[in-house]
Amino acid sequence: MPQIFPKGVNSLTRFLVLALPMGFGGTGVGLAAFYRSSYATGIEEIVPQPVAFSHAHHVGQLGIHCLYCHTTVEDSHFANIPPTKTCMNCHQQMWTGADLLEPIRSSYQTGKPVVWNRVHNVPHYAYFNHSIHVAKGVGCKSCHGQIDEMNLTFQSKTLLMEWCIKCHRNPQEELRPKSEVFNMTWGPGKPIDGKPQVWKREDLPNWGKLPDGSDHALVGELVGKPRPTTQAELGAKLKDINGVRDAGTLTSCSMCHR
Amino acid sequence: MKSDTTVAASPSSPPELWLGLEEYMDSPAFREAMTNEFPDDAGEWTDPVSRRNFLTIMGASLALAGAAGCSPRPAPMRKIVPYVRQPEQMVPGVPLFFASACPVAGYAAGVLVRSHEGRPVKVEGNPDHPSSLGGTGPLEQASVLDLYDPDRSQQPTRRGVGTGYEAVVHAIRERLYKQGTANKDAQVRILTGAVTSPTLAGQITALLNDFPNARWAQYEACGLDNARAGSLKAFGRELSVTYDFTKADVILSLDADFVGCGPGHARYCHDFATRRRVRQTIPANQEAEYTTPAKMSRLYVVECMPSQAGSVADHRLPILAGQVDEFTRALILKLNNLGLPALPMTGVLPEAAQKWIDPLAKDLLAHKGTSVVVAGDHQPAFVHVLAHAINVALGNIGKTVFVAAPIEARPLGKMIDLATLVKEMAEKKVETLLILGGTNPAYTASADIDFVGAIKNVPFRFHLGSHQDETAALCEWHVNEAHYLEAWGDIRGHVGTIAIQQPLIAPLYNGKSAIELIADITLSATRDGREMVRASCRKWFSETKQTGEFEIFWQETVRAGVVKGSEVKREEQVALVPKWATEGQPPLPARPSADEYEINFRPDPTLFDGRYANNGWLQELPKPVTKLSWDNAAFVSPTTALKLGAEKDFRWTAGERGRTEVSILNLTLKVAGKDVTVKAPVWILPGHPDGAVTVHLGHGRKRAGRVGNNASEPNPAGEAVRGFDAYALRTSTAPAFATGLKLTRTKDTYFLACLQANWVMTQKDPINGTILDRKPVRRGTIKEYQENPWFAKITPAAAGEADAISHNIPGPKSKGDKASGAAGGEGTSYGPAHEHEHEHDHKDEDHKDEHHEGHDNRLLPLTMYNPNDALYPDAKTKPRRWAMAIDLSACTGCNACVVACQSENNTPVVGKHEITRGHDMYWIRIDRYYEGTPDAPDATRTYFQPVPCQQCEKAPCEVVCPVGATAHSADGLNDMAYNRCVGTRYCSNNCPYKVRRFNFLTFQDWATASLKLGRNPDVSVRSRGVMEKCTYCVQRIRYGEIVAEREFRPIRDGEVKTACQTACPSGAIVFGDLEDANSLVGKWKGEPANYGLLAELNTMPRTSYLASLRNPNPEMPKGA
Repeated sequence: MPQIFPKGVNSLTRFLVLALPMGFGGTGVGLAAFYRSSYATGIEEIVPQPVAFSHAHHVGQLGIHCLYCHTTVEDSHFANIPPTKTCMNCHQQMWTGADLLEPIRSSYQTGKPVVWNRVHNVPHYAYFNHSIHVAKGVGCKSCHGQIDEMNLTFQSKTLLMEWCIKCHRNPQEELRPKSEVFNMTWGPGKPIDGKPQVWKREDLPNWGKLPDGSDHALVGELVGKPRPTTQAELGAKLKDINGVRDAGTLTSCSMCHR
Repeated sequence: MKSDTTVAASPSSPPELWLGLEEYMDSPAFREAMTNEFPDDAGEWTDPVSRRNFLTIMGASLALAGAAGCSPRPAPMRKIVPYVRQPEQMVPGVPLFFASACPVAGYAAGVLVRSHEGRPVKVEGNPDHPSSLGGTGPLEQASVLDLYDPDRSQQPTRRGVGTGYEAVVHAIRERLYKQGTANKDAQVRILTGAVTSPTLAGQITALLNDFPNARWAQYEACGLDNARAGSLKAFGRELSVTYDFTKADVILSLDADFVGCGPGHARYCHDFATRRRVRQTIPANQEAEYTTPAKMSRLYVVECMPSQAGSVADHRLPILAGQVDEFTRALILKLNNLGLPALPMTGVLPEAAQKWIDPLAKDLLAHKGTSVVVAGDHQPAFVHVLAHAINVALGNIGKTVFVAAPIEARPLGKMIDLATLVKEMAEKKVETLLILGGTNPAYTASADIDFVGAIKNVPFRFHLGSHQDETAALCEWHVNEAHYLEAWGDIRGHVGTIAIQQPLIAPLYNGKSAIELIADITLSATRDGREMVRASCRKWFSETKQTGEFEIFWQETVRAGVVKGSEVKREEQVALVPKWATEGQPPLPARPSADEYEINFRPDPTLFDGRYANNGWLQELPKPVTKLSWDNAAFVSPTTALKLGAEKDFRWTAGERGRTEVSILNLTLKVAGKDVTVKAPVWILPGHPDGAVTVHLGHGRKRAGRVGNNASEPNPAGEAVRGFDAYALRTSTAPAFATGLKLTRTKDTYFLACLQANWVMTQKDPINGTILDRKPVRRGTIKEYQENPWFAKITPAAAGEADAISHNIPGPKSKGDKASGAAGGEGTSYGPAHEHEHEHDHKDEDHKDEHHEGHDNRLLPLTMYNPNDALYPDAKTKPRRWAMAIDLSACTGCNACVVACQSENNTPVVGKHEITRGHDMYWIRIDRYYEGTPDAPDATRTYFQPVPCQQCEKAPCEVVCPVGATAHSADGLNDMAYNRCVGTRYCSNNCPYKVRRFNFLTFQDWATASLKLGRNPDVSVRSRGVMEKCTYCVQRIRYGEIVAEREFRPIRDGEVKTACQTACPSGAIVFGDLEDANSLVGKWKGEPANYGLLAELNTMPRTSYLASLRNPNPEMPKGA
């Protein structure tokens, strides 16, 4: 019986033995990498806005608190995009003629809202709630990045489900004392104003008050004492203090999807 | 332990409880339904149009897939539109609740409406309103959909062409005024529905005073005319009658469905239920909500059409509606020692009814002052007179029955009825006719009143209404009416309490309310709705000499939604007029001849008199008791059907699964001297008396809208309307029932959609193929309960393992109190006879407790996917254990929960055709079971069982999902991740409760803009190819958890309520956290009557049921 395959096929076969799995594997890895790439996730991509609002200027340089504009972040799932009126509180007095602010002024005059483009596009089937994250001590920075240095706002995290789940499995890695939630420069063990960090009353649930008005037992135990200096220690303590639920509960499907 | 004894009904003996005739007959179709969850063609698009649609849809979805699904880029850029000036108190993302009142036939049902960013989305009952006390009926729940109805009239019109509102007002003013002064000679007629609004009544009265020749007609097709006439005859003046069922030990309903319809029915449901929810241990501070076994009330119902009241009755007597009068006379004869006169009788009462009289009279006499006799609103005035006479004689007035001044506004000397109005119009005496919203006489007028013909003689015809309906089409001028959620208003409830209606949204189409319109016509000084309502509130405030600052009172009133203290004052005593028994006696009912039938007209339970015909939720909602959807039918008893020869092609052996092919009957009745014939599909209804036919009004509307009219689904007569128009047979002299109906069966057939058999829990024995009797509804008499409160624990399939099964039903947290262990759920034994085993159990438990710290000591992981403690050692706090309990004694099958669920969870309406293919999408269904035999209507008993997802701890659905789309949450919810679902439907197949619903097609209306406004933003709007089911309203749970945890406090019991729970007017559903030792749900589950549905399958359902208890009179004839 004649040979079906010519001899050259041998080397091709040897090549394919290695190349096929590598090819498939490589494609898989490539796709996975692409799925997480900045192109696919939109990470660090500047979104055009009607007004080139700079968080770096307003937060980083002027020191305006997050809550001045994002008023409902502690009360609602939505952190609130400020109404035109909030902009005009200041810009009635300063930069009153700036071309850049024309859309704001015309909105204020006509009563037609400014239409902003959403930067953080969480899918509609994921029900994210700002208020509970802030209440449990997840800092703004954990999800929004170094926003006080962003001239134009961009998304700094992938917003992929694996990114959410990572923290829901190990919330202690992103917890900080409640008084530091809005602090963009905080770090575990990092001195504040040159002094080592100490526990504050505001770090405790309900500002250290029990429902009957008396002080929480933790007030005497902690307030004024130095905070742990590593995230591992601090996070574990905060998880306890803030009553962050266990990973099993936090990773239930219906926590975010309903 | 005894061995597992399987109790199987043999094929020859029908089951004790049956869902419908098909199960009773054990038809092949029923067997098929049991085996195959979906009909064979469920996933197919069989008709050619759909195939064409398929290509279009596929084309579109491919394009969509290209645009969204396969795009590597993030979701298309979405917009954020903030306020320019943010209103105070507005927290975007946090819903607000506003108190208002939903008008139903002129009477208020107090509601709290949830608004998301200015869009009313969900209606709840207002706990402060006496007609609601927090509960609602299905009509109120569905009223929010009317707001977003795309077929609403959207502009003022003249002869159907759009015109300006100013032009209409100008035209009306031209008719009424000459140079600004009222034209005294103007023959003005105002036609409205029942009006209880103080503001509107004041305006119309003022208008009537300005025009001496003006008259006012109020027309409600299903109103209280007979009740009003009855009180006039009995007491000499018109009075409103209300009842207090919390104080009633014995209730006799004379064809009155007091829990199902009529003003205040939600309140009556609540009151009635407080005496039916029997408890061994009544929770602290809840004494008024529950009753002890000894104090359970007893309900007798004498009726024709099986109603909700009849279904929950302890004794139900089916007789012809025309015989109720005779029955009451016979009862009065037995009550003769109360001084009531003997009344003439013809002796038409059937034997079964005569056997009732003695024990019933004895029971009533034993409960003087604590009994109630209720006459049905549609029963003739004389039956009301007789009911009043009995109530007066028994001393019930002022104790359980209250009379007060009438609620409806009827200025003396100015009122005419519709018949007079039509006569005047026909005689061309009417110059100007103003029809204000809420009435549609062109459709609802009786057949002997030619409204349509007469109105053409009126030169100026104006109509204010929400739709361009049958009446609007006859009017030259039309103004679109504002919905009650769009305008200010006030309205009185069944006891007269004034409720304030406040707008939650600016009118979508610039509609006007009746009060705004009249203010504009009369050039009133205040024309702003709010100012007018405020002015009439101020008037009430000063007239009744209230103390305090009005402004504070007004603010509080608007917040609460009710004017506190505005109920009509009850009269302590009232006397019958001397000649009540002799004057105004109607002719005695004749003996019905053998070939003639009595026809009964009843308002449709969901469409009412037809005004909700374009509301998809209400059209699709299965009617209580009959479970028909999208249609009405001629309801007859099985025996009558046999006589008509309709039983054969009723296809007990063919049509099922919601698709039932039935004969079409010709209903022929003499109306105004002419024979009128209506084609109606026949529906065999167990419990319906022989010799009568019942039809529901409200169907067959020709100008309803896109929901109510559909050319592809014609009615039995081939018209493009839903169902048949029963008004064609109704006369003004016999509005509720008429005799002399002739029935003939035609050869044609018609498909009806019935939801009862769509989801069948019944199962076959895998070995011998017999149908297993699962005893889904455990039921007993109060006597049986007193003898053995644990009777419901004994499971049918594995009687010997009742202990073990009870043990596996999730129960309240064990408090370590051994003495109260019997009521403690876990380890609960099922009777005193098992004392020994019971002790033994506890020893076991103690032993287990040492190892597992007293928590859920069953140590079964909730799901194979769920990581348990070993994987997550950080679980310091035990997860909550959400659970539900449903009291079957309290459920009246009203369906409020079904609509509430649909509204809360964005469940789509699928349409009649899809219902017939088993595609309904309800997350909660109410199963109706019959007990007895179909051919003995007086011995048929009905049971209702709401079935939502049971949230099994060992959920059979989860283990078969190949993609992990359904998995357990740590707190015990059986979660559904829609995005993971690939649509295998294995889960549904494996669900023993059949509570999962699959989106076979794109049922959700994604296109209609106005409907988007009404969806709940907290719940995903599901598309096709996805399985969905009850989530225990997880969005509410998570919201409640977040609010509580933000405040670092435990969730309060009752803080999280599911949509079905809040809607339920009789409080039959309770929901909460079993980890909370004091939770109400734990208390319910600790009751001995608590049992798990199909718990013998070891699914460990978190939803459990309290057995249905009845309180029959032992002296009643057997079987009654």
